[in-house]
Amino acid sequence: MSDLGAISLWIALALAAYSTVGSVAGKLRLSPALIESSQSAMYVAGLALLVATFSLVIAFISRDFEIAYVAAHSDLAMADRFTWVAFYAGNEGSLLYISTILAIMSAIAIWRAPEKLKDALPYTTAVLMLTLTFFVAVMAVMANPFDKLPFVPIDGEGINPLLTHFGMFFHPPALMAGLIGITVPFAFAIGSLLAGKTGDEWVDAGRVWGMISWVLLAAGLLLGSWWAYTILGWGGFWFWDPVENAAFMPWLGLTAFIHSIMVQKRRGMFRMWNIVLINMAFGLALYGMFMNRGGSVPSVHSFGASQLGWIFLLFLAVGVVVPFAIFIWRYPLLKSAQNLDSMLSREAAFLVNNLLLLAIAFVTLWGTVYPLLSRLTSDQEITVARPFYDQVNGPLMLGLVFLMGVGPLIPWRKAGINSLRKSLLPPITGGLLTVGILAALGLHKDYALIGFGLSAFVTTGILMEWYRGTRSRHRSSGENYATAFLRLIMANRPRYGGYIVHLSVVMVTLGIVGTSFFGVQRDVVLSPGESTTINDYELTYLGTVETPKSNRTEFASTVQIRRDGKLLETIRTKRVFYPSFNMAATSAAIRSTPVEDLYIVPSENLPDGSVGFRILVNPLIWWMWVAGPVMLLGTVIALWPQKIRAPAPVPSPQRFAPGPRPSAA
Amino acid sequence: MTPSIPPRFPAQPATRVLLPLAFFLVFVALAIAQTGALQAQTPEPAYSESQAQGIDRMIMCPVCPAETIDQAQVEISFQMRQVVRDMLTQGSSRDEILDFFVERYGKDILAAPPKSGANLVAWLLPVGGVAAALVAVFFIIRSMTRKEPVLATLRPVQDPDLIPYLQLVDRHLDMTRGGARPIGTSNQPGHGVESSGTGTRSTEENG
Repeated sequence: MSDLGAISLWIALALAAYSTVGSVAGKLRLSPALIESSQSAMYVAGLALLVATFSLVIAFISRDFEIAYVAAHSDLAMADRFTWVAFYAGNEGSLLYISTILAIMSAIAIWRAPEKLKDALPYTTAVLMLTLTFFVAVMAVMANPFDKLPFVPIDGEGINPLLTHFGMFFHPPALMAGLIGITVPFAFAIGSLLAGKTGDEWVDAGRVWGMISWVLLAAGLLLGSWWAYTILGWGGFWFWDPVENAAFMPWLGLTAFIHSIMVQKRRGMFRMWNIVLINMAFGLALYGMFMNRGGSVPSVHSFGASQLGWIFLLFLAVGVVVPFAIFIWRYPLLKSAQNLDSMLSREAAFLVNNLLLLAIAFVTLWGTVYPLLSRLTSDQEITVARPFYDQVNGPLMLGLVFLMGVGPLIPWRKAGINSLRKSLLPPITGGLLTVGILAALGLHKDYALIGFGLSAFVTTGILMEWYRGTRSRHRSSGENYATAFLRLIMANRPRYGGYIVHLSVVMVTLGIVGTSFFGVQRDVVLSPGESTTINDYELTYLGTVETPKSNRTEFASTVQIRRDGKLLETIRTKRVFYPSFNMAATSAAIRSTPVEDLYIVPSENLPDGSVGFRILVNPLIWWMWVAGPVMLLGTVIALWPQKIRAPAPVPSPQRFAPGPRPSAA
Repeated sequence: MTPSIPPRFPAQPATRVLLPLAFFLVFVALAIAQTGALQAQTPEPAYSESQAQGIDRMIMCPVCPAETIDQAQVEISFQMRQVVRDMLTQGSSRDEILDFFVERYGKDILAAPPKSGANLVAWLLPVGGVAAALVAVFFIIRSMTRKEPVLATLRPVQDPDLIPYLQLVDRHLDMTRGGARPIGTSNQPGHGVESSGTGTRSTEENG
């Protein structure tokens, strides 16, 4: 089986390389046959990679320890379901996963590409397949998952215990798919540029694939935070770790892109800017994969450190410089069809939104490279970690939340002062009211007040838009409110799906503000029977059960939670010690409510039966985890294909007049 | 909001006197018994736990990758956390404690660059960069909007009756340009056509 996998890898490499060269040659020599055969080669390369994936899975399930990768990342004690996780526990499997996903996405993207992109498709195919060739080549030559050991070990080394967590089933694959997925919109952009199609032909495909990558990255980031929250045992979810940053930056770039591409879609503007943005996002994604797989910076993600870093760095350089050169070459063709009408317009708001997103990305990049710079300029290396990012990025993020509330309420082209006042008055009232009420209730932390106020501002704006749209539908068509609301959302999916995503971002904001400013943390050592208090909770530690297993020892400690003398819950925390890794995986016991989480994690088991607990009260963090599904729902709605309706024969003039946007009918 | 919960005293007058008295007696007894352990037993610590945690979050764990001593679950970070609390109890300030660790482990023990000397660059550059970018975007938007008067004369879409005609012209232009459009000329035909083309497009999408 493993030989089949190894052979498929080489076949995929040959096909991808052929497809790259063939599509360019076919395009240049005007040979449709060659172009078609290159496309078929691309589909078959995807099949070959699927075969390779399948054989690695079989090798894991049959615990074929002759294969070095299987021996390094699994053992006999591992449950079969963790094959999915073990598959990408190291570089070799990650590369296979990334390549397979890229091949599948490429095949679908090219197969489903709109007719108007036909001219550019050979170049798009070439960009996709060049990237695939790179990944498969690196894998086949430097990190082959099918390499064999000279002997067959009796048992494998086992899977990293931190990976045996539910979140790990989705966090790495979603992130990796999101990172590599950016190649698709990037390839559409570069393909169109190369073909001289510098107008808006690529915009729809670019937007759809940009959003797919975006939601995959967002889901990956949220799941990663959730994993950190439940298993790393320190009660937080985000640390501005270099690898987190490396995944966060392309997400920021993509967020800027999927907003600004809407401006091109609707108004024919920002043509150059969108190409620059997707180039940047692609560069940042390559950088992300370099950080994750190169292991040049110490991080909690250093699972698969290796020498691959330099190769990735080289590809990163090529992946940034060459597209930029193409951009310069085609620069004269990239003229916007429209100019900005006013500073008070949605276009202008989107530009500022882009600026803030890129500023956050820039600060993050700066923080990541500053230690390297400081090592060059002085003998002392300087660490840049969470306090820096919190202080610099925090205000920028609040600015972004503010724009998220303003942007959707400003009309395209030009906003009249009156209409703006009318549409902004309710959200501003909502925001100020929230600040006032909270301040009256005794909340005096400025940043937190601003955060909550802005959250209310955005939410009110969205609810108001929904209400107005629903009411006008209800009045004009007589639909009842529920139907009218659903039909309203379905009538303009990009817009109302976007609102749902915005709401989920507000939920994340609530979680971040709540835990950052109102979290309470205590470290206590309790003997069995002892109690402690945190806020108005009283916790009693009852005892620990120690269970030795084949590869680990599990400590399960029982804790009773009381409030006002009333027993709320008896919960069980778990700490699992792996002697072979000299590593403990903790799983926190979390009593989660929308108001606050009570978070109890055992940090050490002392010989006398007492346990060191870390206890936290994390207000509002519940909203952050609920935001994930909401975000996904919003994205799906925004992406759901809408029947293409015949263009309206005659536009009503007021559509273009400054004033309140007509609610989508 | 401090994590240490103040002890609750029952409201009875008797206990109101007795309890502090009891505390005092215990205090004296302990002081006589073991002067060394006094500081650990003091009922009111000289610092708040959240203050100590704030310092923990500024100090990196020296042996673990990219974690502060607040997060890290290893022995040395437990010890360092204790050092922070001991020093606070002895009356050291936040800066003194951070300096103490910098002397021992070097500047990279701090989780963020110090806001002084050459490392001020780390803080000022992003702030300055963002400010400069904001100013730049302001001027870009302004220069983009300046062209409006030219555009205004070339915006024929306001008249609905013209639309079918303009669409026809666009289609015609596309046909003649479409097949072998020479590279580099697509921006030549002038703004009038471009803007009317966009006009009709917005029509389709606003529908």
